[in-house]
Amino acid sequence: MKKAILYLNQFFGQIGGEDVADYAPEIREGLVGPAMALDKALGDDVKVTHTIICGDNFMGSRKDEAVETILGFLNDLEFDIFFAGPAFRAGRYGAACGHICKAVKEKFGVPVITSMNDENPGVEMFSKEMYIFKGGKSAAAMRKDTKAMADFAKKLLNGEELLSAAEEGYYGRGIRHQKWLNPPVPATDRVIDMLLKKINGEEFVSELPIPELDLVPIASAIKDLSKAKIALATTGGIVPVDNPDRIQSASATRWGKYNISNLDHLPGGVYKTIHAGFDPAAADANPDVIVPLDALRTYEKEGRIGSVHDYFYTTVGTGTTQGEAARMGREMVEDMKSAGVDAVILTST
Amino acid sequence: MANLIPVAKTVGSNRMVPTISIPYPLGDPNTSKEQQWKLRYHRVGVALDALETDIKEQTVFKVKI
Amino acid sequence: MKLEIGNFYVKDIVFGDKTAYENGVLTINKEEALAVVKEDEHIIEADLVIVKPGDKVRLVPVKEAIEPRHRVGGGPVFPGVTGELMQSGNGRTLALKDCSVLVVGKHWGGFQDGLIDMSGEGAKYTYFSQLKNIVLVGDTDEEFEKHEQQKKNHALRWAGMRLAEYIGSCVAELEPEEIETYELEPITKRSKEINDLPSTVLVLQPQSQMEEMGYNDLVYGWDCNHMVPTFMHPNEVLDGAMISGSFMPCSSKWSTYDFQNYPMIKRLYKEHGKTINFLGVIMSNLNVALEQKERAAQFVAQIAKSLGADSAIVAEEGYGNPDADFIACIVALEDAGIKTVGLTNECTGRDGASQPLVTLDPKANAIVSCGNVSELIKLPPMETVIGELQALARDGLSGGWADDEILGPSVKEDGSIIMENNAMFCGDQVAGWSTKTMVEY
Repeated sequence: MKKAILYLNQFFGQIGGEDVADYAPEIREGLVGPAMALDKALGDDVKVTHTIICGDNFMGSRKDEAVETILGFLNDLEFDIFFAGPAFRAGRYGAACGHICKAVKEKFGVPVITSMNDENPGVEMFSKEMYIFKGGKSAAAMRKDTKAMADFAKKLLNGEELLSAAEEGYYGRGIRHQKWLNPPVPATDRVIDMLLKKINGEEFVSELPIPELDLVPIASAIKDLSKAKIALATTGGIVPVDNPDRIQSASATRWGKYNISNLDHLPGGVYKTIHAGFDPAAADANPDVIVPLDALRTYEKEGRIGSVHDYFYTTVGTGTTQGEAARMGREMVEDMKSAGVDAVILTST
Repeated sequence: MANLIPVAKTVGSNRMVPTISIPYPLGDPNTSKEQQWKLRYHRVGVALDALETDIKEQTVFKVKI
Repeated sequence: MKLEIGNFYVKDIVFGDKTAYENGVLTINKEEALAVVKEDEHIIEADLVIVKPGDKVRLVPVKEAIEPRHRVGGGPVFPGVTGELMQSGNGRTLALKDCSVLVVGKHWGGFQDGLIDMSGEGAKYTYFSQLKNIVLVGDTDEEFEKHEQQKKNHALRWAGMRLAEYIGSCVAELEPEEIETYELEPITKRSKEINDLPSTVLVLQPQSQMEEMGYNDLVYGWDCNHMVPTFMHPNEVLDGAMISGSFMPCSSKWSTYDFQNYPMIKRLYKEHGKTINFLGVIMSNLNVALEQKERAAQFVAQIAKSLGADSAIVAEEGYGNPDADFIACIVALEDAGIKTVGLTNECTGRDGASQPLVTLDPKANAIVSCGNVSELIKLPPMETVIGELQALARDGLSGGWADDEILGPSVKEDGSIIMENNAMFCGDQVAGWSTKTMVEY
């Protein structure tokens, strides 16, 4: 027997309406309101053991306290899966479901499932982090939305094969994996089908929908470069020839930093590239073509910049996923910040 | 500093200075050492200019050499 | 141009006294075949092994796959590569179907080499587990690259092509069991019915990113790095004008076998005259500098437009920075008013959460996707290994590693393996075989 716990707001938790939206978190053994339908839809092998109720305003205005209290409730309980909602189009409720699901998932590592209408702002806030099922506009869809969550939960808990987000009915989490088509339709047929539809102006579905651009907040300009400490970083795989940190030549997960405080440039034979994605001859002969220490050192001597940071930072870009690259970048930045670096010149290959 | 400006743009870089290729971003081995140095010094200089420049959107800074 | 491919369906392969084909059985005189392999003195060790679907065999490091063929009327199967330069795509070529020559390193592998399991869970990851294969497993004295991650694999790849020609020649005097005919009228001489159909070009972007010669795909023996996009007849591709190179993580590669049987070309032929007017192939390439990428895209769009193409298909042999060539080409075609569909694979990471291509553009709104290069794959030990299993971990294969903090080495003591899809031999089958797609979870 697997155990589940459900989170509800004050309204669905049968405490009351807007006037009691400040209701503090509470846990009850057994089933309250929608928990009954959920328990039934989960069948005989999964039981909803507890219902948590929290006012939407309490969660909205005192989130940390609410989350902490609820995580406290859960600490001594055994459960295999956590549900919240359905929240339909209720914005505060949707956000509350998202916040608590996220916290429960992070703390207890159990799967979390909620349900919201596509106009609920909670979808945009949390769809990348959890299963949010595509729900109806109002409580009229309660039975249907609850069943959708329950059906998926059963598959998840039984270790059955999970279909794509679209097929299962939740909002895509931006996680893309390969899958064999059943029946097996070769790429050639899919291309022709898509091409003919595109030519004829019919609707078609791209197998790689283009995600929105990942914009980064713009850093403000440096006011006085002559006092600034500048670091060099690269994805071009320049390392000391023995590659002491064993940075991978492709699909890198490691990065290194190497002291260059007493060098005017990076000599070939002492440094080289381990990047497997391009012909290394030019960079091995003169690593400065990738990490331009010679030029930056000259600007330092000329007083154009304050100083060159004592270390340069390096990893390999080829085959390296954006996820790993972003993590390594964050780690490098942390290190640079602690050393008082003002700006970075990143050379990529 | 990147040769593949479209890639840099796609991942959200804000200040971009073009380099000349993937294997040798800042110095073509088919040119003389002096030419390579001139190019490298110039483009790193443009990168420093970029750091001093306030921008409102993703910007590719122009290079002369 | 009219090409006839005369097919012989190989049902079994055995070693015997005389290299011959009879009633579906291909017999190979091993000694004679090995002599052909060893015509190149750089081959210092060579053996032939026959492997079939269902065999408990793991092959690694696999360098190349070639369909055994024979050119009727004389001439090399690969003009400009295994013999003199001549026009391919016209006349008759004989092919031994359902089999391939696989070239495997006896010891040493590299970035570009891959793995094939002939049975079990791993078999589904490559096309070649479905074929009966004549495996050339060998070693060379190419000392300069023995410990290099990037290998040209010249001696072994060329030995594979010679072997494929030698085996193919055994049907020279026989009447094929089936003839496939590939014929396109010159573009300006087509019937009104065909001209009234929407016209389509196929744009191929073969791998050509190495500036040093010896690694890239070749067109009639010419390094694809040294060309700007050009217009080709699809028959040329099907008839040996293109050979595979020795660069790029393996699952993204197109083997020579893939070029010889290029599924997307064959599929376009099927549609030609029915739903579309197949104009031909624009052979482009993949580059390492932005200007080169933009120049190639500009050439492709111009050729397509000058030909009057209404639509285009763009296929990319690679991922990572080649995605910039791929997207630039699609955008240039769309900007020229040509409705374009892309054919590629993705790199979304082991967790599937990374950006699928390194460059993206909303104009690339129709893409068929054949897999995730970084999907993690665990496979149990295999009874027999041909080649050297350690190559996967030791030699920098794109999907293998010597050690990993969490996953350990790619090759375990019991012979089981953990790897990325990257090292599956031509696994993503972007040439068109692929029944894999990508879905969002």
